[in-house]
Amino acid sequence: MSAPVLRPSFGRTMFASLRLSLHMFLADPQWVIPSTIAPVMFALAAFEIYRGSGPLLILYAVLGAGMMSMWGQTIYGSGWAIWQDREFGTLEPTLGSPSSYLGVIGGRVIWNALSGLLGGAIVVLVVGVAYGQPLPFQAPIVFGLLFAFVILSLAAVGLVLASIFVYTRYAGFIQNVGEFAFYIGTGAMFPVILLPFWVTPFSLVFPPTWVIDALRYASIPGYHGFAWGFTGDIVGAVVTTALYVGIAASVFRRVERHVLEVGNLDEY
Amino acid sequence: MAKTAIRIENVRRVYSSRKGFLFQEKVESEALKGVDLTVDEGEIFGLLGPNGAGKTTLVKILATLLLPTSGKASVLGYDVATQARELRPHIGLVLGGERGLYNRISARENLRYFADLYGLPVADRERRVEEVLRKVGLSGEETRRVEEYSRGMKQKLHLARGLLHSPKLLFLDEPTIGLDPKSAREMRKLIRGLVDEGVTIFLTTHYMFEAEELCQRVAVLSKGRIVARDTVAGLKRLVGGDRTIEIESYGLDGPEVARLKALPGVSHLTSEDFGPRERVTLRVRGNDLTHDLLTAALPGHRDLSVRERPTSLEDVYLDLVEEAPE
Repeated sequence: MSAPVLRPSFGRTMFASLRLSLHMFLADPQWVIPSTIAPVMFALAAFEIYRGSGPLLILYAVLGAGMMSMWGQTIYGSGWAIWQDREFGTLEPTLGSPSSYLGVIGGRVIWNALSGLLGGAIVVLVVGVAYGQPLPFQAPIVFGLLFAFVILSLAAVGLVLASIFVYTRYAGFIQNVGEFAFYIGTGAMFPVILLPFWVTPFSLVFPPTWVIDALRYASIPGYHGFAWGFTGDIVGAVVTTALYVGIAASVFRRVERHVLEVGNLDEY
Repeated sequence: MAKTAIRIENVRRVYSSRKGFLFQEKVESEALKGVDLTVDEGEIFGLLGPNGAGKTTLVKILATLLLPTSGKASVLGYDVATQARELRPHIGLVLGGERGLYNRISARENLRYFADLYGLPVADRERRVEEVLRKVGLSGEETRRVEEYSRGMKQKLHLARGLLHSPKLLFLDEPTIGLDPKSAREMRKLIRGLVDEGVTIFLTTHYMFEAEELCQRVAVLSKGRIVARDTVAGLKRLVGGDRTIEIESYGLDGPEVARLKALPGVSHLTSEDFGPRERVTLRVRGNDLTHDLLTAALPGHRDLSVRERPTSLEDVYLDLVEEAPE
């Protein structure tokens, strides 16, 4: 009965995990709310608040609402997916397979990034329709590219967060406590420059802080963010995103070893 | 001579947890206290033990889901602690129960996902999924969501997943627990069929008839230690006696019980309250002990009830578990 030894590639593992996430998403209507309805609500609320304040503030509204909806899907979703594996008891059979669990997490994070991107796009679309004329982006193509980069940077944070969820069943606590601090600290809601000066060093630890600032530079005429400007933001974003991916990859082996030592894979 | 599929040498496993909130205290419990065991290729080996004996802990260690605190274990020649990645493609694990599956999606999607995680060639994946579904009797049910499945169907799906990648060795942790008699019988039939296909099976159970029906050799794990290992027949000899005599009466006192223990052929005796009466169970070797000798040892007990039956694996198991040291 025994067949030749088979080992899945990292890419196939990621794709399988991505496909599973899609099936789980389609099977569970509760996910439709954060991924499609919530962005519409964020967009309409932001538009109503800023509608009489001129086109520049409308752009702030678009970015703030877009970031909030993308955060929810990308980072929150990544941790949640691993928590679900704990709850379903599927963490054990998954880790017991010959696949790299980092690949499994990678697939989940990519799915969440894609649905986060959808959320962001919905915000831009809804505000655009409500505004009644094209949004006055300074450089729409750069905006589009940076929009995708924001997702990448959020995914990098999601990857690290997902590793923590594998490490401990109490990771949800860290995520919930940190959620609003993250919204504000990374400048998703309003520029970091408006916060007290001592917040900035903490904010710069997170890749999205850099990308979001770059995004504002690219889309809002006359924007004054970090002193190092657009180029500095891009360099910082690339470095911190790569750092997070590297941390997730190197930490993960240790996390896997730790959970096998502690024996808490079936706890939730 | 059969090759060794599993070798376990002095494996210990200690779980640590913390008690309290501000001033936490570290609490340790030793689930396995130095287990030694070998399992041959191509056999069904049964690990018996009561709840909390350490059966699942041992299975998880062998299936690379838990590291031993000390000692060594190898499966199919791979060290479970240092060669987990190499070992995993060769083994299957069926933990069973309500958990462990993606309930909101179909059985087929569950199997496709795990087929991918085990690296089955994409061209063969659908065929293999159909094959295992047919083997476990879930053909025609594969498009239903797992949450709509009965307990028995979920158990079958667990087994199907364990078989997807054609493992050389399969760990089955209490595979028939919670199943109705018909489903349990089908499951046992399936397990026997797997051995005919050359799969080595390491089975844990606390159903003695199941072990007796399926296993060539068994070991009894109690309080983290292996207290006996042999063939089923060998275990019966070990405990002493192929006959079991149960005596019930009112007011059996200490000296009377001692007289029973001294009767010819009695190798083991247990005494317990049985409602308002006492019950004494004797394991007896040979045919020297007759009914007349028994009644003569208990004069004045007109209400004496004596029943004799062949010693079962369950009797042996209970003797071993009760006598196991802490």
